[in-house]
Amino acid sequence: MKYKILKALDIAGLKVLDPVVRLAYREEPREQVRKIILFIAIPIITFCAFLVAWAYIAPRHTTKSGEVPTPSVVWDSAKNIWVFHQRENIKEEDFRVEGEEREKRIAEVTALLEKLKPELEKADEQLNKAQEQAKAQTQQAVAPLMAVFEKTKEQFKQAESDRKKELNELAKTIKDGDTAARAEYLKKVDAHIKQSDVETEQLQVIKSRIDVVMNPKHEGLIAARTAKNRVAEQVQFLSKRLENLGDNNQQQKVLAAKQALEEKKEKFSEASGRALYFGAMNIHRAEDRLGRIETSTYAKPWTFPAQIVRSLGCVFLGFVIATIIAVPIGILCGLSPVFMAAMTPLISLFKPVSPIVWLPIVFIIVGGFIDDPEQAPVHPAFLSSAITVALCSLWPTLVNTAFGVAAIDKDHLNVARVLRLGFWNRLFKIVIPSALPLIFAGLRISLGVGWMVLIAAELLSSSEGIGKFVWDMFNNGSSQTFAQMFVVVFVVGIVGLMLDRTMIVFQRLVSFDGAPTAI
Amino acid sequence: MSFLEMNNVCIGYGPSNARTEVLENVNLSVEENEFVAIIGFSGSGKSTLISLLAGLEKPDSGFVRMKGRTIDQPGPDRGVMFQNYSLLPWLSVYQNIELAVKQVFPDMKKGERVEYIQHYIDMVSLTSAEWKKPHELSGGMRQRLSLARTLAMKPEVLLLDEPLSALDALTRSVLQDEIIRIWEEDRRTVVMITNDVDEATIMADRIIPLTPGPKATLAQDFKVELPRPRDRTTLNFNPDFKALRNRVTKFMISVNEEAKLLRTQRNLKCPDIQPISLARVG
Ligand SMILES: Nc1ncnc2c1ncn2[C@@H]1O[C@H](COP(=O)(O)OP(=O)(O)O)[C@@H](O)[C@H]1O
Ligand SMILES: [Mg+2]
Repeated sequence: MKYKILKALDIAGLKVLDPVVRLAYREEPREQVRKIILFIAIPIITFCAFLVAWAYIAPRHTTKSGEVPTPSVVWDSAKNIWVFHQRENIKEEDFRVEGEEREKRIAEVTALLEKLKPELEKADEQLNKAQEQAKAQTQQAVAPLMAVFEKTKEQFKQAESDRKKELNELAKTIKDGDTAARAEYLKKVDAHIKQSDVETEQLQVIKSRIDVVMNPKHEGLIAARTAKNRVAEQVQFLSKRLENLGDNNQQQKVLAAKQALEEKKEKFSEASGRALYFGAMNIHRAEDRLGRIETSTYAKPWTFPAQIVRSLGCVFLGFVIATIIAVPIGILCGLSPVFMAAMTPLISLFKPVSPIVWLPIVFIIVGGFIDDPEQAPVHPAFLSSAITVALCSLWPTLVNTAFGVAAIDKDHLNVARVLRLGFWNRLFKIVIPSALPLIFAGLRISLGVGWMVLIAAELLSSSEGIGKFVWDMFNNGSSQTFAQMFVVVFVVGIVGLMLDRTMIVFQRLVSFDGAPTAI
Repeated sequence: MSFLEMNNVCIGYGPSNARTEVLENVNLSVEENEFVAIIGFSGSGKSTLISLLAGLEKPDSGFVRMKGRTIDQPGPDRGVMFQNYSLLPWLSVYQNIELAVKQVFPDMKKGERVEYIQHYIDMVSLTSAEWKKPHELSGGMRQRLSLARTLAMKPEVLLLDEPLSALDALTRSVLQDEIIRIWEEDRRTVVMITNDVDEATIMADRIIPLTPGPKATLAQDFKVELPRPRDRTTLNFNPDFKALRNRVTKFMISVNEEAKLLRTQRNLKCPDIQPISLARVG
């Protein structure tokens, strides 16, 4: 049992948990504890230290989009993303639901709304109160400062006009041709201007102090506002649900359209003369409308989880394309030095090209094949992103495959020679299996590169996905969206990690010498 | 015309400016059904000789022939058992043998093939290790697997390169008997490389020493005229056996001494230079 678990962990690439299992079975407890500290405790501590440092540093930098979000803000916005996703799903269900289920839902939502109404009122009230309070507090804090400001301003104004007057008086005493006196005068005026500047600056300092007090973070106000927003959002959500369950519901719309059609038909059967023509036209239109409604779907906005899934689909498509191109070419390169020599310049030339360059080119080329993006089976932006991913990520696989095939053990080839294996047998029974570990090592790198490239490609091509999400959030520019970009960082990291782990598992399955495959 | 022959074969490795001539003027002729043991010190070129017979290497001059036809490529009629086993590490014990069997006997039915392969696995006592990969086997087990694979090909000529070197004494004697049995049963021709004089004497019809390299060549052969079957328990007291073994051993030692002498003479030609004391010059 123990060894089965250990083996499963090993294959699943979860070797970190190995000491935990061993400890549970009381195998060399001291050694296992040491390992747990080393491989589990220390990484966790480091991560916590990172979070603490982040929480400390982040609020100390304010940007146009507000403060840099702290871990807890990011966590909240991750939760918000999830709530939004779930709500959209419920709304879509509401749009489709029919019959008794619909009635039941309407009753539920109405009850909830009723319950929320007083809550909303209360929240509103509290917000108002908080606002009043905040205003009063600000007033209180600002008033004395304002008095100081006014007083100082008055003083400075007085002083300035006094100096001016004095200088004017002095000017009268200066005679023609008295250069020394003139020079002296010039200096005095300079001093006057400098003094004025200094005073203006002092005033500015007081003003900024007032601004700080005027614009305080009233804890109570912020809390009240968030509370209200939360309730208001919920109310809005429920109202929208009611709409989708009611008039906006697909079934309801279909029923209405059918009824309209019936009416038109009735009218038509009774009409005569010119009205007959219009009646027929009306029936035609009503039928059209019914057809449209029947096939219509709920216009659901893209939610982040849906975008993640789409990004995964995109990277997978790109990865498959890359594999289909890279592995055969790599094998040919490995088998034939001539082919390798022929390909080397192309490989070296295209390998370093960035996705930012590939994407527009691919986009235009793909666009040339697809006339109407909305009608196409795959969206051209999606396809271009996938192809860009393929173009950027196929190189590690290609190079590794070529290397793996070229470095095949001579002894293994000798076996093939003695057995007189034909070309295909030699390829599939000797060459490819022996190169497989290296091919998979290449595929693993490729997938990592592809995942990195994908975000940039989506961002550029506006293909729905994580990249697009980041771009939208960036253009939104509020502190809420700023926090959501941080969520993206973690999501991209975690998904990338999981992709890598998956590839490690595959790598383990094809490696035959029992050698470990990196960490 | 003999069954398998080498005629004035020379072979060397490396570019012309740093060339090592491994074998020079090797002449060998093996009759059909004959069991020939070639003994020699390590590095003298025994494996190279086997490669030539197998057709994996081509001689620089001279020719290698089988049944009168020049050997120009390897083939399953000459089953080689490589010194380093050359097992395919991604295939299990069973699959390693299966690959060879499928290729050599394409018409064999599936059920028959399974039995056939199992027979050879049992023969080398790898039963219950069928699904292990080579890296999970010990050195001796790998060697046995390699032997089983070669035998399963039922080649006309068995070219065995130190086939039993990694085995313990007991397993070794069992497999020696097994090789002899197969050789007698199917009337095949065997060229076996070994560095064990006892082994050569017990098994072979003829022992041919290879002189130490470079430029190794085959020396005068020793005929082994002990009656078969040879029983190793009584053989140890057989005076003919003892005498032959001693003669071969003595010969090997003497050629080795000679070679060493040659080498040392070559190497010891020191330049006639006296060290100069830098202090005095300065
Ligand atoms: N492919 C090769 N390239 C260069 N030298 C080789 C090669 N194969 C063998 N040799 C040389 O040939 C000599 C004989 O090797 P080998 O036939 O393996 O000896 P043995 O099997 O008797 O121990 C050695 O000195 C070795 O260095
Ligand atoms: Mg050798």
